[in-house]
Amino acid sequence: MPGTEEALLAAAMQWPDDGVPEHPRGWLITVASRRLTDLLRGEQARQRREDTVASRALPEQWLAPAADRPASDADDTLVLLFMCCHPVLSPASQIALTLRAVGGLTAAEIARAFLVPEATMTRRISRAKQRIKDSGIPFAMPPGGERSERLAAVLHVLYLIFNEGYASTSGPELQRAELSAEAIRLARMVHRLLPDDGEATGLLALMLLTDARRPARTGPDGGLVPMAEQDRSRWNADDIAEGVALITGALPRGPTGPYQLQAAIAAVHDEAPSAEATDWPQIVALYELLRRISDNPVVALNHAVAVAMVDGPHAGLELLGALQADERIAGDHRLHAVRAHLLEMAGDRAGARDAYQAAARCTTNLPQQRYLHARAARLTGDR
Amino acid sequence: MKYMILTYASQRDYDGMAGKPAEERVWSAEEFAAMGEFMEAFNKDLADSGELVETRALAAPVLTRRLRLQNGVPVATDGPYAEAQEVLAGYWIVECDSFDRATEIAARLAGCPAPEQVAATAVADVRPIADSVAELEP
Repeated sequence: MPGTEEALLAAAMQWPDDGVPEHPRGWLITVASRRLTDLLRGEQARQRREDTVASRALPEQWLAPAADRPASDADDTLVLLFMCCHPVLSPASQIALTLRAVGGLTAAEIARAFLVPEATMTRRISRAKQRIKDSGIPFAMPPGGERSERLAAVLHVLYLIFNEGYASTSGPELQRAELSAEAIRLARMVHRLLPDDGEATGLLALMLLTDARRPARTGPDGGLVPMAEQDRSRWNADDIAEGVALITGALPRGPTGPYQLQAAIAAVHDEAPSAEATDWPQIVALYELLRRISDNPVVALNHAVAVAMVDGPHAGLELLGALQADERIAGDHRLHAVRAHLLEMAGDRAGARDAYQAAARCTTNLPQQRYLHARAARLTGDR
Repeated sequence: MKYMILTYASQRDYDGMAGKPAEERVWSAEEFAAMGEFMEAFNKDLADSGELVETRALAAPVLTRRLRLQNGVPVATDGPYAEAQEVLAGYWIVECDSFDRATEIAARLAGCPAPEQVAATAVADVRPIADSVAELEP
């Protein structure tokens, strides 16, 4: 069944726990290779510039060391991340502040990545800093009891940054690979600071194993290429090897969280020599574990697809039936698209065509519409 | 000084871009990719020159909701634009030195690759933005 799994994995990646994210068209100038030395060198000049647009300069101690600089400031970096992702801030503010204070991007760069006017982003960042200041949160490690919850917030913010970069495809929806690269750099830094944390390891592995497929994910005409049709020789073997090693090391140590499970699923796909050779029963088992700890309808959708690959389309369609009552996803194009794929698999061409068309009506994204209309047209047989 | 550049399209144009089978011929993958590349380069140039404030593309006209007062109460109806020829499709806000410069930028859009029937009727508008109370005063 071509198409579905990549679409669904992409879908799962695009769906953060707190709702459907906005995917504005956007562009990010090259930021991936930024290092602290550059940041420090440019900091004075930048502060002068930003002061003129009424931005508050970062306190000295908020500057983060680069990922590749050894230990001495390690705790400060972690504290800084905990501050930037503090629950008093909205997710949008957490992301902006993390990219600014830890990633070292300028307000203009962040504004461009999220396609908002620079003045808006500058205000968002300075308000976030003020909010932290007013809340009286000390610049210190969160107390032991709060620590894992706060780390989860940090990981979630990095996950959202990665998704912003990965979710956009080419064509009018432009690639923002730089944002994904920055998320990977930050996740790598967190993993280095907390090497024994399974979820921090799992998140880094998940990002690497997902990003590894990027070179094969878009065709020459800019359209999305489903995983089953991707040229696997173009997948990034180094990223896959690193991701597989990370997740293989983390899983036996436990406890196993959602990032580790998603990384494990990505690893099973990445290690399959072809779409046909994918170990679907193992993927079903991993999704079942994931569903036990995550009440996310997109996980349920992915699970239904995996079940269909093992037990046939009707078993998958049955699982979809239950999802239709879930208002978080009932009007979502992904539910219709999966139904269409499974109906097609079951040989119901007319039903599949209608479902593809319904899916196309549920999205405003032109490349997605083109993909769905093309699938529908194939089934009418007159084009 | 800020200016808004506006471009327009009909519902049929959107259907063509979305690859929806219709009487009008749909955009081929190559045509669609060419437009994407052009827009990417156009926007990057504007961003690099520091003139881009923001740009957005709007979803299809059929998704419009129009609000009207009925007995003093706002009532939403589905958009009146399904048949209209020129519906706002996207915009750029640019900050540049002069109206002429903004016009020059907008004129570059004429180079956007598109199927013949689309290019034949394409138009763009450039409008100065009144961006502060001070500028509204005589």
